[in-house]
Amino acid sequence: MSAARIVFDAFALVAILFAGLMVVGKDPIKSVLALVVSFFALAATYVMVLSPFIAGLQVIVYAGAILVLFLFVIMLLNVGREKPDGSRRPIQTVLGSLSVVVFATLLLGMLRSSGTSLPPQREAVGKELLPDPAAIARLLFSDYLLHFEAVSVLLLAALVGAFVLARREEAP
Amino acid sequence: MTLVDWIILLLRVLLPALIMPVFVIPLTWLERRGAAFIQDRPGPNRVGPLGLGQAIADMVKMFTKEAVMPASADRMLFLLAPAVAVFAALSTFAIVPYASTLEVGGKTIPLIGADLSIAITSLSVYAIVLAGWASNDKFALMGGIRSSAQIISYELAMTTAAAGVVLAASSFRLPEIIAMQQGTWLGIIPRWNVFPQLLGFLVFFIAAFAETNRLPFDLPEAEPELVAGYHTEYSAMRFGAFQMAEYVNVMVASAVTTTLYFGGWSIPGFHPHGVVGAILSLLIFAAKTFFFVSVFIWVRWTLPRFRYDQLMKIGWKALLPLALLNLLWIAGLSAWRLSR
Repeated sequence: MSAARIVFDAFALVAILFAGLMVVGKDPIKSVLALVVSFFALAATYVMVLSPFIAGLQVIVYAGAILVLFLFVIMLLNVGREKPDGSRRPIQTVLGSLSVVVFATLLLGMLRSSGTSLPPQREAVGKELLPDPAAIARLLFSDYLLHFEAVSVLLLAALVGAFVLARREEAP
Repeated sequence: MTLVDWIILLLRVLLPALIMPVFVIPLTWLERRGAAFIQDRPGPNRVGPLGLGQAIADMVKMFTKEAVMPASADRMLFLLAPAVAVFAALSTFAIVPYASTLEVGGKTIPLIGADLSIAITSLSVYAIVLAGWASNDKFALMGGIRSSAQIISYELAMTTAAAGVVLAASSFRLPEIIAMQQGTWLGIIPRWNVFPQLLGFLVFFIAAFAETNRLPFDLPEAEPELVAGYHTEYSAMRFGAFQMAEYVNVMVASAVTTTLYFGGWSIPGFHPHGVVGAILSLLIFAAKTFFFVSVFIWVRWTLPRFRYDQLMKIGWKALLPLALLNLLWIAGLSAWRLSR
């Protein structure tokens, strides 16, 4: 096992562990903080599979901006600890189990098709094979242009929707 | 990698982090004496020559005072917050190339901590939010909420302004951004990014004040409204850690501004080689950074604090559109250069 593999596995473990803590945690603020740690570990794993650009985006966009927004909203609304209300519906258990099965199938399928080995390290790959921002941009504005624009329209629709929902009617 | 390589790598990453806190001590002195100079009063001048010992006396005081923790505070997060503040501030400095390369014994050592792509992370906001929330105090919580809203707003303008520099250099790596700023235009004007991107520089530098929580943007600790904001409940060295993080952040912001817009360690006509060259480039970098640190201090004691709605208005209605305008201009310039 190479040193890179050990580092990758360690960060992957941290990412999964803290993602689990985020789901299980009863305190919303602590859940967000667990997610911050998880996202950072995820960014580190991106670096280990030779995608420093994606890692940078992960840190700037998710860990740096979106989670701060989450914290802001939770603190502003002053969301308290989650209380167990004991009214779990049977349908929740059924759907939950179903999604676990689907996820496990997908995961197994992916592992079997692509294997669990890491891509070769920087010294082995030529510099031109490293995924760079220009290549990502080229793909984004050619092959995936429609998807890209569709996502931006979707985000705009969500923005307008949030605005309409949040706006209070002016008293006459 | 041999053992020597590992030691060099370790030193490259750790040395800046270990040296930066030392500079905080004279910086606090400079801030207080600078404030006194601007306000036409003597300032601290009793301890040692020119009051230089005051900073050390303050440090001894901070280390020996009792550290109090509110009974209702969240223990773990309360203790974690100052540590995160210092860690975030020091680790950001690791991406700045602080001198040219050093050639010793057949090895070329780049003088930069980690050779990372530019990721101006505002992780210090987590320290403030954590402190505000864990203190379980209404003033601290208000400070934390303000800080998160402020950072989101100004981070956007700051990143967009920095994107102009990245676009002009076609690289995310700071050493390459410095390399493209060497030489001159028309023989006299240095090829610094500040000249074609004056707008971007102004937006970046103003946003840097907001990111480092300095006046006129220090709403998270506005003392007339919030006592001391997010660090109301902190005392002794835990408060000292926030203080230290603030000064390190000021130095980091100045260093990044120097690198992105003022050519980093390079000046036209200077081609560093050997140990002397490396030391000279380090001194040039330090001088430029010191200039911006002085501007930070100068502005703090000159401008009054903005109101909260003004802060939001400036961030969203002035800085962001200006940063986008700068980006558009640079994109046009790059396209024109490519088409020739």
